[in-house]
Amino acid sequence: MTEVRVEGLTKAYGPAKALDEVTLTFPDGGFFGLLGPSGSGKTTLLRAIAGFVTPDTGRIWLGDQAVERVPVEDREIGMVFQSYALFPNMTVAENVAFGLEVRRIPGPDRTRRVVEALDLVQLGGYGGRKPSELSGGQRQRVAMARAIVTRPRVLLLDEPLSALDRALRVDMQIELKRIQREVGITTIFVTHDQEEALTLSDRIGILRDGRLVREGTPRAVYDDPQDAFTARFLGEANVLTGLPEAGGLRLADGTLLPGVTTPAIALRPEALAFAVPPPDTPHRLQARLAQRIFSGATGTLVLDWQGQRLKLTASERDLLDLPAEGSPLWLHWPAAAALALRDAG
Amino acid sequence: MIVVARAYLGLILVFLYAPIIVMGVMSLNASEFYALPFDFSTEWYERLFANEEVLAASWRSVWIALVVATVATTLGTMASLALWRHDFPGKRILQALLFPPIAVPWLIIGTAMLVFFFGIGLGRGTPAVVLGHVALALPYVIITVTARMQSFDRALDEAARSLGARSWTVARKVILPYASPGIIAGWLFAFAVSFDQFVVSYFLAEPGDSTLPVLIYTAIRKGFTPEINAIATIIIAVSMTLMIVAARFARFGGTR
Amino acid sequence: MTRAERIRALGLLAPAYLWLTVAVFLPLSAMAFFSLLTEVPFGEREWSFTIANYTEVFGNPVYATLLWKSLKLGFWVTFWCLVLGFPCAWILARMLKGRSREVLFLLVILPFWSNALVRIFSWAIVLRGNGVLDRAVNAVLPWDVNINLMFSEPAIIIGLVHSYLPYVILTTYLSLQAIDETLIEAARSLGARWPRILWRLVLPLALPGLIAGAVLVFVPVVGSFMEPRLLGGRFGTTYGTLIEDQFVAVFNWPLGAALSFILLAVVLVILAAASPALRKAAT
Repeated sequence: MTEVRVEGLTKAYGPAKALDEVTLTFPDGGFFGLLGPSGSGKTTLLRAIAGFVTPDTGRIWLGDQAVERVPVEDREIGMVFQSYALFPNMTVAENVAFGLEVRRIPGPDRTRRVVEALDLVQLGGYGGRKPSELSGGQRQRVAMARAIVTRPRVLLLDEPLSALDRALRVDMQIELKRIQREVGITTIFVTHDQEEALTLSDRIGILRDGRLVREGTPRAVYDDPQDAFTARFLGEANVLTGLPEAGGLRLADGTLLPGVTTPAIALRPEALAFAVPPPDTPHRLQARLAQRIFSGATGTLVLDWQGQRLKLTASERDLLDLPAEGSPLWLHWPAAAALALRDAG
Repeated sequence: MIVVARAYLGLILVFLYAPIIVMGVMSLNASEFYALPFDFSTEWYERLFANEEVLAASWRSVWIALVVATVATTLGTMASLALWRHDFPGKRILQALLFPPIAVPWLIIGTAMLVFFFGIGLGRGTPAVVLGHVALALPYVIITVTARMQSFDRALDEAARSLGARSWTVARKVILPYASPGIIAGWLFAFAVSFDQFVVSYFLAEPGDSTLPVLIYTAIRKGFTPEINAIATIIIAVSMTLMIVAARFARFGGTR
Repeated sequence: MTRAERIRALGLLAPAYLWLTVAVFLPLSAMAFFSLLTEVPFGEREWSFTIANYTEVFGNPVYATLLWKSLKLGFWVTFWCLVLGFPCAWILARMLKGRSREVLFLLVILPFWSNALVRIFSWAIVLRGNGVLDRAVNAVLPWDVNINLMFSEPAIIIGLVHSYLPYVILTTYLSLQAIDETLIEAARSLGARWPRILWRLVLPLALPGLIAGAVLVFVPVVGSFMEPRLLGGRFGTTYGTLIEDQFVAVFNWPLGAALSFILLAVVLVILAAASPALRKAAT
């Protein structure tokens, strides 16, 4: 199969750099999520791999072929667009067959592969319909079938689920993952939805202002974000900054957090616990309860500490014996939950 | 690729403009037979402005176009605002009825008008020409104004009414100002339809009392002279200028 | 809609539609009536009903020949307009952007809104023997050629293509612009090259616009008389000039009305046949 690799990829639009020296390997058969805020260059990177964007410098490898100079139509890719881009003048089967028609696959073989692809996305029997007669989720599946039926070297998904409503999106995430596992094609997908990225990807890459900020497995990046941007972008994070001293990190209210050697730490809201009497640990802060938010199974406490808002989330049943809003409250956490950050963001 | 594209576009533009430019240049050539070398002269323009018949026809064409544009714009704006604002049975039919005057060849419409106007005793002449031109210009005005109103936020209308404004006040203070670029463009289109109209005028104008295009047609058939070049150049300059102005107002959906 | 609103809508609509009725719809109906008379019913003339005008038209092959000639003229002008106009519309819609597209688009469309008669006249200057085209070509070529296209069928076609090309470019441009760019990207990602993308995707999607443009050229060309007259000379006798003659030269109005009415019927059949495409293109 195919490993995809980009090396030193740079693309500038006037003075703005959409991609800035991006080097990244997308493992063979893996599901790689590209994540970043809008304007971070993630879509440009995907379109550069597809061939719609020509990079100024850098190399793109599909397997052992360098493809920077190869036009889109010769790259043997499969792509699913945000709007699905199904051909409205063709039926579902004709849409799926289009790539096979281009490759001059003979009739019987073509039909068989179209049927297989539609079965794979659980749309067997829908071949005769027009795209306009399908629901959003069904269109998404057709787009997927059309992209994989040619057995491309790499499957590129551009925000494939963003046009669906929330409940359907969760179903389609599971579906997408299943299809990708079955066909085993190297898949790269772009999203701005971090939860989606965490759910689907074997590995993720986070981009910011055209640069690759982090890359790794979702768990590794989540558990060790290393910088404040990644910590805040992937999940939620309370970032505490202070002055590193010999004994630890000295915070603005004088608290010394022992064992910390970096100028900042991130605390996930779910890693925090609260107590009314001072807890017996040095990893603690005294804050004030500002607001309590109910949101179903979990609840959130918003706390005020030195003018900074901190968040704590916990299961609803752990949030029963709360003092009144405005009361002082201790926050504490296990030492390992303090994620070291090299900057304060 | 883009070079080939630009070259092709260039050739199309040469095809579209070369004859017009040649005509304009030749109107300034002293030779009656378009002989070269080119010898600059304004003789044909001078002769033109001394030609009573041409002047009278020009003047008639202009004022007919002014009257036609104004009448057609008034009636057309009223109709398009009604079509835009109200939903009623038969609305689609009314909209479909706008297409025959555009789609049916003017030859058929012109001859039909001639026959009918004689039948009702109106006959040929300027009133018949105005009657016919307004009918031809109306669909253009309605389509132009309706296109402009398509981008109007109906909430504005409702907001104004919720503030207690009466229908007429809303129309005057909110809708008409918004529609005005479309109305101006419609007026200019209507003026052009009338000013450039040859076929219908040809059948409806009284001989000896004709509009400029009819006069030119008759003159060409008698054998053409550089004088026709001169007046034709003026006409094309006028109508192109009008259309550039109209295009600026007709930027549908724009904020101008 | 309340009663008051209904009255107001009626008041706003009535003048325009009354005008159209008096000046377009009643005349078209009156023509049908006239075509069935022996003589125009003005003054003291004797007249009666007859179908002689139609038997004359259908009995005499000259009329059918001329109608066929006009239809052929319409076909060729439409053909050349589409062939020349499609690439032009493609370039404007898909290859150019921003200010240069705006300016070029206006330049292409502008002639359509200028005087048709004058533009035909300008071709007469260019095309005639010893005219500008003749001399320009002879100035470039080392040997002598005599280009006299004036008063020929090609001259008529050139003039009419010049008249209607901007229109085809406009309608084609609008339908090409409505095609979502990502559809083309999707086709390319599946490995399709330009000829296939054009044939399988762009043309089917642009077809309603192309048909609309074609019909709106074909119909007036079939009814043209001024252009054949001025550029065609003795080759310029068409169905249109035949009708013109009945009204301004021969003064056989009932026959002219019958000829006009037959042309109207042909036009209406064409418009009706194309109406699904026209409706699709309008939305």
